[in-house]
Amino acid sequence: MADAKEPPESKNRGRKVKDAAKGVLYGMAAHGHVTAALRTRMYLEHLFMFITLGDMLGVPVIPPYYSLRILPYAVPNIKSWKQRVFRERDFTDQVF
Amino acid sequence: MVDILQTPFLWVIVTIGLYGIAYWGYGKWIDRNVWRANAKQTTPAHMYMDGVEYFPVSRYVLWGYQFKSVAALGPILGPFIGVTFGWLPALIWIIAGNFFIGWLQDYGSMMLSVRKEGRSFGPITYEFTGARGRTNLLAFVLFYLIIISAAFIALIATFWNSFKGTTFVPTIGILLAGLLCGQLLYRVKMNVFAVTAIGLGLVGVSLYLGPILPVVLPFGGWNVAVWAGVCVLILYLAAVLPTPTFIQPTNYLAFYPAYAAIILILVGALATPFTLGSSPPVPIQLDMGPFLTDPQGILGPIWPILFVAIACGAISGWHSLVSSSSSAKQLDVETDALPVGGGAMLSEGLLALGSLIAYMVLTKAFVFGVAGDPLNQPHTNIASWPVGAALLVSRILGVSATNVLLTTFFGLVLVIYALTVQALVTRFFRLVAAETWSEGRFRVFGNKHVATVVGLGVPWMFAVSGSWWALWLYFGGANQLLAGLAIMLISIHLARVRAPTKFSLIPGIFMVGTTLAALLWQVWTFLYSVWLYIQGDKSWVLRNVRGPIQTDATFILIAVVINAVFVAVGVVLFAVGLSMAIRLFRSYRTSRAGARATPAAADGGTPEK
Repeated sequence: MADAKEPPESKNRGRKVKDAAKGVLYGMAAHGHVTAALRTRMYLEHLFMFITLGDMLGVPVIPPYYSLRILPYAVPNIKSWKQRVFRERDFTDQVF
Repeated sequence: MVDILQTPFLWVIVTIGLYGIAYWGYGKWIDRNVWRANAKQTTPAHMYMDGVEYFPVSRYVLWGYQFKSVAALGPILGPFIGVTFGWLPALIWIIAGNFFIGWLQDYGSMMLSVRKEGRSFGPITYEFTGARGRTNLLAFVLFYLIIISAAFIALIATFWNSFKGTTFVPTIGILLAGLLCGQLLYRVKMNVFAVTAIGLGLVGVSLYLGPILPVVLPFGGWNVAVWAGVCVLILYLAAVLPTPTFIQPTNYLAFYPAYAAIILILVGALATPFTLGSSPPVPIQLDMGPFLTDPQGILGPIWPILFVAIACGAISGWHSLVSSSSSAKQLDVETDALPVGGGAMLSEGLLALGSLIAYMVLTKAFVFGVAGDPLNQPHTNIASWPVGAALLVSRILGVSATNVLLTTFFGLVLVIYALTVQALVTRFFRLVAAETWSEGRFRVFGNKHVATVVGLGVPWMFAVSGSWWALWLYFGGANQLLAGLAIMLISIHLARVRAPTKFSLIPGIFMVGTTLAALLWQVWTFLYSVWLYIQGDKSWVLRNVRGPIQTDATFILIAVVINAVFVAVGVVLFAVGLSMAIRLFRSYRTSRAGARATPAAADGGTPEK
């Protein structure tokens, strides 16, 4: 019964080929731009986090009252933020 | 049957077959036995996943991204210089260079970065050669970017000045359409498919307007200099404006015509025996060669010049920066490195093959001119690729090979390949300059505007004064040297983990030796030209420059100065490259000695018996 519910192999193969073609087209046309947009957002978020919660990384900003207010929203991002900020960066990372 | 043998079809099949062996035979073997790619090994994309820089991406997406990032003007214009020595040596280098070195470098750079936690070449060079080695790399990359910029600005200006002025309006059309699409996408928040349709519609309209509104400048010998100035202005805007405003949407729109051209050429080249028309359908007309020295007496001997003239398509150092920059951080599993890195490079080899075929089907008189013919003097005809590509494609589209829209389309493709890559290079130069001079006495050069002006002004001067072939050979020399250095980094890593190194070390030594020899040859050519001028022979000094400087006798001293400057550029490139190579060879020797003295590393090398 389980076999009967699965799509035939040729259909599966067709879907795989379609997904691969879509992936290649997306990779060629848009993937670089999407990651560039993500990086731009990342730098803006870094700035925001530094201004509001910079004391967490030892940046001497006096935590304002609003830091406490936004803390619950910032908590899920703190780990990856620290990881990104502390990561070794180099000019060769900027090629694309 | 005889007809088929007279067409490029056979060579397309042979090349595809050999690339297939390179991928499924040699490539898989290296993947299993040298790098020991392990699908279960956690890649940096998973280990450091942050959803921004590190995140796993499907191999198909990454292949598309990698191919788009590496395939540009190099595989199109490299073979153009390469065919000077005959099409056979050019073809052999495209096949053998890619088979033994090209894919190995792209794939190896990616694997090296993956095994080094996704780090790019700067930190890896620092680890292997110390702080001075990294500074050395920085200096080399700065010079390399200046030379790339000079070559590309010269080419863009020459393209706008050629093709009866039909490519400028479509180029501006694409740039304006890009600006509009950026606004529609990010400000109006319009659907990306609708924006793409509008953008491509505008690109189509501007292509149609190109032959109707040709732009021919009235400045005679200064035309190229003025066009280069226009190009520099556009690039300045591209470098200082936010990427989503200008570069990003423009590059996105430019992608479609550029890659449509690649597909059309490859299909056209494959279809040569079957396309309609006279018999043989599209024959090979250019000389097969091999010519051991350039028959025109300009370029020099086949070794080392051919090996630096054809860079991308056979092997290119730029790819190592791309492979180790973004792609390695997004590789889902280690076993994807071969299809993504190696596969994209071998596919680029097919693009180089398609371009080579576009030259092969033209006559020698068209590509190089005829000695003694005042109407067609010996020269390198920059219009060769669009005309050859149109010839290949016209048969499958059922239109005339001289159809003005078709030749304008391929001319435009040349411009947008050069312009989109150059926009990224100028921006990269600005970032490298900021890294180099961010503090200290010269910090003004780290300023965004100053760095961009320097990064465009110096190349502009080279572009308007020197011959494009001279710039291309310097670019090729620097690019291939970077490739050699990348392969040496790969060899050092393999030595450290006690894996076999000879498959990368031998190509590395070959590339470093060849490119240093090519740079020396170029330096010698310019030096010899100046020496001949002192002896009273002006011809060599003049053939190395362009435009009114070449034709106006009052500029002779400027021509001499330009030759001298090119000597200095070559010497600096050679010295920085040699210094880097020595550091890497020393590091390799130390790594080998160190690896012998320690037990096998856990992540590679020969297992202990």
